[in-house]
Amino acid sequence: MWGLLLLVLLQMLGSLINAAGLALPGPVIGMLLLLGLLLLLGRVPEPLQVTSSQLLKYLPLMLIPPAVGILSQWQVITSSFLAISVALLGSLLISIPLTAWLLQRLVKRKAVSQ
Amino acid sequence: MISVIVNHPLFGLLATLIGYQLALELNQRTRTLLTQPVMVATLIVVGLLLLLDVDFESYYASADLIWLLLGPTTVALAVPLYTHLKRIRDYFWPLLIALLVGGFTTVLLTLGLAWVFGAGPQLLASLAPKSVTSPIAILLAEDLGGSPALAAVFVMITGVAGAVMAPFLLKLVGIHLPAARGFTLGLNAHAAGTALALEEDEEAGAFAALAMSLTGAVTAILLPLFYSFW
Repeated sequence: MWGLLLLVLLQMLGSLINAAGLALPGPVIGMLLLLGLLLLLGRVPEPLQVTSSQLLKYLPLMLIPPAVGILSQWQVITSSFLAISVALLGSLLISIPLTAWLLQRLVKRKAVSQ
Repeated sequence: MISVIVNHPLFGLLATLIGYQLALELNQRTRTLLTQPVMVATLIVVGLLLLLDVDFESYYASADLIWLLLGPTTVALAVPLYTHLKRIRDYFWPLLIALLVGGFTTVLLTLGLAWVFGAGPQLLASLAPKSVTSPIAILLAEDLGGSPALAAVFVMITGVAGAVMAPFLLKLVGIHLPAARGFTLGLNAHAAGTALALEEDEEAGAFAALAMSLTGAVTAILLPLFYSFW
């Protein structure tokens, strides 16, 4: 069980650091702390691996209750429908080709110089 | 009769499980990106609540068993991030540059376009984290003064739309390198993009997973900073 214990402890620690003034959400601070620990350790301990993959398997389910909150946000969606659609689709339309083109170019240039 | 079920402390859990199971079923039968299970399940639960005349607050309170674990699960995201981070050594600088340029472009374009079309501050804060994996996006939206629910929905729409548009856009600019295809999918369309990249090939899938993890972590650090200087 210490996999879950570690995750909950790190989330609490993250909330403490957040309360002390760091402007990041508590669980995100916890995630960064855990990443630091894993990098120091150089491997993922078995109990942590087991707990994480089980929790992550249920992640889609956990996202449903917060998303159902759109029930009280319909008005925002209908009144700003154009702004939302243009922002969501327009950014993808430009960002996808740009990211891919840039990365492919950089990788190829590196391959040539080696 | 119905009131016994609706007022049961586990009603929210029941409604969520029913919605998710039906959505999984539909997704397995249709096998298209458009029936993304979380999105469909959300719509089913919304329909159930409207039908049974239950307000969001009492649903949410009776589904606490599920969402209370969202925090520890967000912490657990460090494990896949750590596992995929090994891949970054292959192309350290190209990936880092693409991550920062791609990430900033997405956020700036989203905010800029929404602002031009008249979005207010609360809506902007809900749109800003739309390229980030949902658990982190929900937290960020709340922190920046937006709505976690809108953020969750925008993330899902982005994932589905990104995965639908990407194959065409990547072909248009002639991207054939699996690392570049995968990384772009993970960065722009998080989970849905990663699933699509995995279907393409294993290398693209690994880079998509890396991009999704990195985008989540880097955005979580930079977006609040960026917003405080805004």
